[in-house]
Formats: sequence, structure tokens, C-alpha cells
Amino acid sequence: MEQKKKKHSQLREIWRRLKKNRLAVFGLCVLILLVFLAVFADVIAPYGYDEQNYAETLQFPSWKHWMGTDNFGRDILSRVIYGTRISLQIGFISLTGGALVGCILGAVAGFFGGAVDTVIMRFTDILMSIPRTVLAIAIATTLGPGLTNAMIAVAISSVPNFARVVRASTLTVKDQEFVEAARSIGASNARIIFRYIFPNVMAPIIVQATLGVGTAIILAASLSFLGLGIQPPTPEWGAMLSAARTYMRDYWYMVTFPGLAIMLTVLALNLFGDGLRDALDPKLKK
Amino acid sequence: MEKLIEVRDLKKYFKTPHGMLHAVDGVSFSIEKGHTLGVVGESGCGKSTLGRLIIRLLDATDGTILFNGEDITRIKQVKKLRRQMQIIFQDPYASLNPRMSVRETIAEPLTIHGVCRSHKEVEDRVAQLMETVGLAERFADSYPHELDGGRRQRIGIARALALEPEFIVCDEPVSALDVSIQAQILNLMQDLQEQKGYTYMFITHDLSVVKHISNDIMVMYLGMVVEKSETDELFENTLHPYTKALLAAIPEPEIRRDRKRTLLTGEITSPVDPAPGCRFAARCPYAKEQCWKETPALEEMLPKHFVACHFAREINGIMKETENEEKPAI
Amino acid sequence: MMKKNEQNEPLLSVRDLTIHYITDDGVVRAVNGISFDLNHGETMGLVGETGAGKTTAALGLMQLVPDPPGKIVSGSVKFAGKELIGLGKLRMRLFRGKEMSMIFQDPMTALNPVITVGEQVAEVIRIHNKVSVKEAVKQAAEMLETVGISSERMGDYPHQFSGGMKQRVVIAIALACNPHLIIADEPTTALDVTIQAQVLELMNRLQEKYNTAMLLITHDLGVVAEICDKVAIMYAGQIVESGSLEDIYEDTRHPYTKGLFGSLPRLSSKLHRLSPIYGLMPDPTDLPKGCSFAPRCPNRCKACEERMPENHEVSPGHFVRCVLYDADRQ
Repeated sequence: MEQKKKKHSQLREIWRRLKKNRLAVFGLCVLILLVFLAVFADVIAPYGYDEQNYAETLQFPSWKHWMGTDNFGRDILSRVIYGTRISLQIGFISLTGGALVGCILGAVAGFFGGAVDTVIMRFTDILMSIPRTVLAIAIATTLGPGLTNAMIAVAISSVPNFARVVRASTLTVKDQEFVEAARSIGASNARIIFRYIFPNVMAPIIVQATLGVGTAIILAASLSFLGLGIQPPTPEWGAMLSAARTYMRDYWYMVTFPGLAIMLTVLALNLFGDGLRDALDPKLKK
Repeated sequence: MEKLIEVRDLKKYFKTPHGMLHAVDGVSFSIEKGHTLGVVGESGCGKSTLGRLIIRLLDATDGTILFNGEDITRIKQVKKLRRQMQIIFQDPYASLNPRMSVRETIAEPLTIHGVCRSHKEVEDRVAQLMETVGLAERFADSYPHELDGGRRQRIGIARALALEPEFIVCDEPVSALDVSIQAQILNLMQDLQEQKGYTYMFITHDLSVVKHISNDIMVMYLGMVVEKSETDELFENTLHPYTKALLAAIPEPEIRRDRKRTLLTGEITSPVDPAPGCRFAARCPYAKEQCWKETPALEEMLPKHFVACHFAREINGIMKETENEEKPAI
Repeated sequence: MMKKNEQNEPLLSVRDLTIHYITDDGVVRAVNGISFDLNHGETMGLVGETGAGKTTAALGLMQLVPDPPGKIVSGSVKFAGKELIGLGKLRMRLFRGKEMSMIFQDPMTALNPVITVGEQVAEVIRIHNKVSVKEAVKQAAEMLETVGISSERMGDYPHQFSGGMKQRVVIAIALACNPHLIIADEPTTALDVTIQAQVLELMNRLQEKYNTAMLLITHDLGVVAEICDKVAIMYAGQIVESGSLEDIYEDTRHPYTKGLFGSLPRLSSKLHRLSPIYGLMPDPTDLPKGCSFAPRCPNRCKACEERMPENHEVSPGHFVRCVLYDADRQ
């Protein structure tokens, strides 16, 4: 019993510090709400996302349709709720992929140094010199439109950021005595990277990931907006904005609600990410 | 007595932006089985580098290291060596992985070398090691940051003992600890040596600590050995001017009514592209022209007492047997 | 006038100073009612291990305890008859540096890396004295010469100096305005022994020259023996024994002080084993009810665990806080 307690004491400490940051808690609440919406979209949404009703096209928000309806008579609220599912999915999956590749590249570059480091870091420099949106557009164009390809494009464009963060942290950790101690007991390089370096650079990775999900969602939305990402009728927020842009002048609500959804999600992620950074590394603040 | 470690003319140079740093420059010595060699020197004298060279955490630039008569200077299977030679680090805060519990840290060498057949055996061995170093079992699942310096250093010792090595390099193992804890750890290390017959190389800047724990002492200055002898001999007949100064500089916890002493002037430089000559010449009160030109060799001036100084005999009034008649004492 | 002052009024008089840190994990009782006097030109050593509260006590004297979480709960600090606790921030700031100044442990971080050392010394002079820039620079040059740094090096930046030289600069800054009191927090701990000896000698010489009082905070009983007139031993936020150098070193009374001396390996003795103090410093958020040292004390009795022992004057000026010296017990 006591063992369990000890194991969690570090997590509890982090949670205690996070709780003090009201904005971060707000962000976390919004995120929980969004995940809830995504999971139970089928139950919560009043209508199906592709349920067309030609009798009720382009209706302003009312009690029946809280966010109005679009040009096909689809309920925008339902589409925004279903959109949560798509956006979060894109955000998390593509970011996990990007983070995995980026972390390994960064750790390898930082740990081994020398030529390996130069090759990996120059490659990421090249990727970083291209604006992320442009890079994602280029990849998405090459691969063709679609959900999977959009995720791949977003994932690739997030690799350099992770590689950099992880490399920098690896450089500081690898010179610490406990890494030398690991070597002195005969640990292999792979073991040192996975058991000694990674657990100690986790904090910046988590922070980077939380902040990165927001960017990934925006990027995916931009791709969809340009027609390179999710294809209709799938209710992705970016795609909804894109479809609604011709009606923007007369039917403001068609762009407003999907736009607000993107903004709220990204804001929540950023607030939570900032709070998490302070909670994980209390030395930075103060 | 059998020699466990024998080092001949060991050198380690590092490339720096300012030139070649001669961290260890031609060091030779041997350690007998079950003995402790104390290596003393101030920061930058190369003592830590020397320790790491011997257990092959660093590769030597030149020279030979014999372990049990076998040349290990350039062997490739370093992992096998790890079971025979271990190191205890200076800083009990930095030398433990903050994300591993006490149990995991001590089990790590056992897992890496696959010395235990079952998970149960690992657990038993860890419990036994914790008992050996005096760590209560309830700390097995604690993390380093929850423990104080003394306990952390015990974890570091348990980790080094896990593979039952013959030879242990102790790199300033007590200098980061409070005095009362320092004494506990020193006693523990002495007990372990008496029980298991470990051979230690004890690296420190503190002459009073090495005096307490070593059979032989080697004093280093800027990468070179300046004096080497048995412990009691060194303190009774201190020959090298640097060792003398080092002894004089130690603040003793006693009221000294005669507070007069000679202090060294100048600072320690770093041995980057050193010019020939004695490296201590710049701070030496006895330095003469010869000291700036020729590097003094390590000579046996008294039985088993080696000194690297051109004028040690004159300063200390020792006659050189062969030249007795030619050279009148100065 | 001055003579009268010296006799009747100590330069620094601390009474029942209590400092707590209020944290989420509870109240850290860092300093628990310490009292001492320091006269003009006297040096007192405040000795204790990590966590004894000695640095907090020093910060308390300077009114530099970080608040929050620190809080001076009670007590008084009188400097030349003037109460410092409760003095406004601005007035305290003018006080620091001019009347009392501090030397920190780590000379590497105590200096501003982007300003030349000459300017740093001159700046302190300019802040506290109404002098022209030219005059301040002139005084700074003199000050640096006094601590053994040639004035040609005034234009150099801190990184161009070695550790010992940097500590000399820090001392020059501390002495720049000729303060009455210097608080030195482990001033030589980061230095090598030969350099430490130089710096201690310098501090001794300057203190005699300027008749400055000094509070030396250290864990090293050797350093204290070198330069102090009086000693106070701290344990768990209290002064457990205090007196003259002779009282403490040659007539040691408190079991903790005895333990400290027993833990030290010495050059002059041929002890085989050290006698450490068993156990650890108590957790300052959860101090024992009676004497804080009782759990580790070889002489403890029932009374120790029940109440805080009184402060006894065993001989004039020699105070011990231990029930062994309770009058009614004998």
C-alpha cells in the first residue's frame, strides 16, 4: 500500500501545482468537455451530421437549431459536435506520430553528436525553414486529399519542433553524472536513451505535445479549408469554414460557430499546456 | 603481495579550443590486492580523469593499464570489465537517475549483466545489498529526491557493489556530505573492505580523509605525480614542496597557537600545452632555473618513497648515496 | 565615547530570532530562537550542518529572508543599538552594504558577468557614498589592490578571473564601504585548499586592518579554528553550544559538538575508526517535542524527550543547551 503511495507522490505534487493555476484548470475542463463531446457525439448531437433537410436550409440560430443550419439544411450544432471528434482525432494521432519520430531523432542526435547530429539537425533545419503551412500543403498535395494523408502531412511538419526540443534537453541530461554511472555499470546506448534520458526529458516533451496539438488542429483545419484535407460531407471544422465562406456575408453564423470551436479548443490546449509547463518545472517560474 | 592494478606511463590529452590539455601526463603506479591507494590533488590535477581511465570510462591517449596482469588499455569488451571494476561518484545528487526508485537503481546492474536467474533472485539480492550498505528496506520504493545525501550515497555504493567487483574507484565519495554523515560513509567503506577484501582507489582533495583510509598515497599536481609513498611515511617525511604546502593549508579543527605557516602564492593554472619544466615551478618557493627547463622525474629518494622534484634532497637534507663525496650538502 | 560604546553595547545583538517558512507541506521551522552578541572587531563562527538554519539566520540579520514563504516570527536584531526588524525596505537597503555586507559562498554567481569588476566595486561605493564617478573608480582601484588584485585588471570581466580571484573581488565589494559587520556565508567552501588558505589569510588581515566584525557561517570546524574568536554551534535552528574558541575546542560540552569533533578525520591523530553521530538531522517541519538532538544523542534520558533544555552558562561566556547541565539534576 505504502509503495503505491510513493510511486504517485511525484504525480500528486504536479497535480497540486497545476490546480493552483486557474486558467490551466479552465483549459483542462474545456478539454475534458470536448473529449466527452467527441466520444458521445452520437448521443449528444440532436441531428445526424449529414442529415439534410431542404425545408430548413440557411436558418438563423433558433431554439430548434441552436447554431442554425447550413445551405443543405444540416444542423450546424450537430456538425460542430461531430467535428470535435474529427479534429481531436487529427490533433492527437498526427501529433503522437510526429512526436514519436521527432523524439527519437532528437534523442539520437543529442546523444551521439558528431556526424549523426549534423545530418539530423541540418535536415530539421531545412524542414523548419519552410513555413509549416506551406510544408503541410506541399505534403498534402503530393499525397492527395483525405483524412489519413492530412494527418501524415501534419505529423511530418511537427517532427522538427520535437527533434529540437528533445535534442536540447538530451544534451543537458547526457552530461549528468547518472548517465556516466549507467555507463559504468555496463548499460548499452539504447538502454541509456530509453531508461535514463527519455524519462528525464519527458517534461518538455509533454509541454511541447500539449501546445502542439493546438497547432496541429489549426493546421489540419487550414488544409481542409484549402480543400486538401478532409472531404465533405465529413464535418471537419476547417472544411465547414471552407464550405461556408461563400455565405459568410449574409449568414455570419455559418463561419462563426466552427471558428469559435477551433479557437476554444486551441485556447484550452494552450492554457493547459502553459499550466503544465509551470507545474512540471516549478523552477522556471519564480 | 599481488598487484591488482598496474599502470604504466598513462596519458590522457583532451583537445580544447586553446590547445591540448594534458589532463593526465605520464602517471605510473600499482595497487596491491585489498589495499587502498589515496589519490590527492586540487581541482584540475587530473585525479578524476585518472580514475575514469583505469576503469575504462575514458580511453587513454597512451600508456598501459594492467588488471590482474591482463592488459585492458584497449580491450573492446568493456562490459565484461564492469563486473570487475566499479566506481562510486562524488555527487550523490547527480549520480542517481531521478526517475528510478532505489530498488530499480540497485537492480539495474544485475539486470544488465543478467546475473540473476529470476525476478525473485533480483529482489533478494537488492534486499541483501540494501542491508549491506545500511539502507532500511522501507526505502526500496523511494525516489532519490526523497532521501538525504548520506542515504543517496549508500544507494550509489550498493549499485557499485551489486556486481561484486574486485576494484572500486571512489571519486570523492564523501566530499559532498556533512561531516557527521561523512564519518558514517567512511566507516561503511572500511567495514566493506575488511569483510570482502575490496581494492580501492580513493580520489579526494582532502588529505585528512585519505590519511584515514589509505595504505598508500599519491599526490598529483596538474596531471603529474609529484609524490608517492606509504601513508605514514608521507606524513612523517613530507618531501615535495607542494605536498608540504598542501598540508600546511589544511585548516585543522584545533587551536593552533603558533599560527605561522608558509602559504603558496599564485593560482592553479590548467595544463594546456605545458612547457617543459616542473609544473609546480610557478608557485614553488624553492624554484630555480633548472626547474623551468627540465621536467623532474619521479625518483625513489627514500625507500618506497618517490618524489618528482629536482631539489627535494637539498630541501630536506637527504644525501644521494652515489654522489655523497662529489656534492657537499647545501 | 567609542570605548564606552564597545563596553556597553555589542555591535550586533540578536535575541530570540525565530524564522519560519510557511509552505504547503507545513511550517518549516528553520530558525528557532537564536540569541547572540557580536562586538566590534570580533569574529564569530556560526557552525552547523546542512539544514541547521545558519544561512536562514544570516538572511534574517540582513532582512533578506524571501517573503513569502519566509517569515520572521519573532525576535529582535539590534545593530549598534538600532532595531532592524520592522525597518522599512528602503532604509534597510541603505543599511546593507554600508553598515553590513555579505560575502556569498559561490563567487561564480555572486558577480555580474557582463560588468567589469572595477565597475562593480565602484558601483557599491557610488550607491552608498556621495562621491564623483572618478573618485569612486579611484577608491575601487585601491580596494582591489588591498585584496591583492592589481588595478590593471579593473577592466576585466569576472570570467577572466579564477575562483580564488573572484572571491577576492567579492571581498573587495563587501569591504568597499568599510562596513562595521561582514556576514560571510561559506566564503571558502567552493575553493581549493591552497586557495582557501590564501583567502582566509586575506580576510584575517583585512579584518584586523579595518576592525570589522565578522559573522562567519561555515560547516568547517577547521576554518573556524583559523580565524574566529567566538563560536556558536547550530543544530535544527538553535544554538546548542556557544563560547570562546577555547571553550568549544578544548572544553567541549554538548553531545552534538562532541559528535562533530569525533566525526572529523584528522591529520594529527592515528584513529582507525571515526565515531560518527548516528541518525539524521530531524525534519524541520516536524521537530521533536523536547531537545531536537535527543533522537541521535548518546546521552539522552527521559527529560530530553519531554522538554526543551535550558541554556546553561557552564563557565563565563560558555553556554550549553543540554539537560546534562541542569542544576537540579545534579
